[in-house]
Amino acid sequence: MNDPAHRRIAVLGIGNVDRGDDAVGVGVAHRLARRLPSDVALLVCNGDILGLVEDWAKYDALICVDAAAPMGTPGRIHRLDAAQDELPPCPSLASSHAFGLAEAIALARELGVLPNPTIVYAIEGACFDAGGAITPKVAAALDATAERIITEIGRMNSLAAPAET
Amino acid sequence: MPTKTINVDYLARVEGEGALDIEITGDAVTSAQLRIFEPPRFFEAFLRGRGYAETPDIVARICGICPIAYQMSVVHAIEDAFGTKVDGQLRALRRLIYCGEWIESHALHVVMLHAPDFLGLPDAIRMARDHGDLVRSALALKKAGNDIMRLLGGREIHPVNVKPGGFHRVPSRAELQTLVERLENARNIATDLVRWVATFPFPDLERDYEFVALRHENEYPLNEGRLVSSCDIDIDIADYESEFEERHVPHSTALHSLLKRRGAYLVGPLARYALNFDRLPSTVQALAEEVGLDRICRNPFKSIVVRAIEILFACEEALRIITAYEPPAEAAVPLVPRAGTGFGCTEAPRGICWHRYEFAEDGTIARARIVPPTSQNQPSIEADLAVVAGSLLDQPDEVIRARCEQTIRNYDPCISCSTHFLKLTVHRS
Repeated sequence: MNDPAHRRIAVLGIGNVDRGDDAVGVGVAHRLARRLPSDVALLVCNGDILGLVEDWAKYDALICVDAAAPMGTPGRIHRLDAAQDELPPCPSLASSHAFGLAEAIALARELGVLPNPTIVYAIEGACFDAGGAITPKVAAALDATAERIITEIGRMNSLAAPAET
Repeated sequence: MPTKTINVDYLARVEGEGALDIEITGDAVTSAQLRIFEPPRFFEAFLRGRGYAETPDIVARICGICPIAYQMSVVHAIEDAFGTKVDGQLRALRRLIYCGEWIESHALHVVMLHAPDFLGLPDAIRMARDHGDLVRSALALKKAGNDIMRLLGGREIHPVNVKPGGFHRVPSRAELQTLVERLENARNIATDLVRWVATFPFPDLERDYEFVALRHENEYPLNEGRLVSSCDIDIDIADYESEFEERHVPHSTALHSLLKRRGAYLVGPLARYALNFDRLPSTVQALAEEVGLDRICRNPFKSIVVRAIEILFACEEALRIITAYEPPAEAAVPLVPRAGTGFGCTEAPRGICWHRYEFAEDGTIARARIVPPTSQNQPSIEADLAVVAGSLLDQPDEVIRARCEQTIRNYDPCISCSTHFLKLTVHRS
């Protein structure tokens, strides 16, 4: 970090708005649009996440929001520290389309451009049908996730405040 | 006679879902089958009854890697049926967006998907540890391609700005100029990439392919040309069905395309390059000669070098088009629908993508036929696999398996497109 008193933070919402609950990451980003400190970058990725990897070097902290595979509790919010732990790989890694978030983070780690911390909010989805809307239980997690991210940013900035250095 | 079976149950680093079964009886490969089990996608069926104007956005959904190929083939088919020719700067912009697709698709495949095979590494993530600069280069190339796609197509995946007759919106000169610095950097990266991949250890294999590609009177082919082969084919794209046919095979949900008279043929970079070397810019030809790439290359493993050559070509072509660009007065040529049949054939990164549509008077689609490149290459992939596996019979199954997967990736196959593909199984008996 260049200025120890001020971290460069980015929030990245990931998802396909035409695939039901996959839109949840983008939906959280939209809720954060006018609520983040002006110096926090808000990024949205609808498709090619590989294109973003090198740019992560610009940030001291990264917060990603993405949909998670169904695990029985739609709308449940998982918080993972990706700079410390490996994320489970995308189940369809075999596809050349499937450089998903886990693979992009693993690639960024190998390239030495992964911010530390990199926090992932993964929201369990229920339905990823083409053309579908976000399902009610997942939609209900949008505001709660946005609030947690705002709190997370506040905590990151307070940890970086001059008194701490 | 003992039989041995080698399976790859799910092929990685290719697009789509497929598997590979090799059967070895005694000292001979008796069967090599590329099993494509991705479900059929029925695009040709659900295009029926749709209006011509909807088609670019529908066919773009066939593939996230090569949507422009499908969009370009369909718009040319529509214009052919309606008796309209799109020329000048609109035509140049179509070549430019196609250059974007070639750059991003080829860069992804050459470095992130195929290069690990030659380096003995499992994937691009592991490769980033030892060859970080190269992975960064690939990301920069991909970004340059994506920039073109985003500017001209509205977004890099499933672009939305292509329409029959041209585009919904055309860029200003100033907007295109924003691409120049990254493309000039991409051109330098591509040159280094050609020199790097040319040093890979290539298995010694020459195959007697019949190459098939488009050939234009003065351009390296993207959107236009006659269909030619390394044997005797030189036909209008409308006559494709006179020379080629598709067949169902039990082990694949994708149709197999064959030459009616001679069977398997090859489309894609090796074919385009062999049939169109003289259409490449002299700088690109000179680099090919510098790295020792013959004008006709029959070693499928060297397709990675040709892809890198084509990245360089696409960067140069994109820069040429941008330099010469003058915004057209209209973003699209008006079309008047009429009943008829139209044909489109363009060069997807993986090879020719041939379309035929029958239109009703009001421009709705009565019938559609789409022949993607991977379905055309399947018989050649299986023939390559039989030869490659046959040369490794004294090797452990793991060695056979790895080399066969590499052989398939020589083709950068797009299984998702062709089902409208991978596991490897070797059976020894």
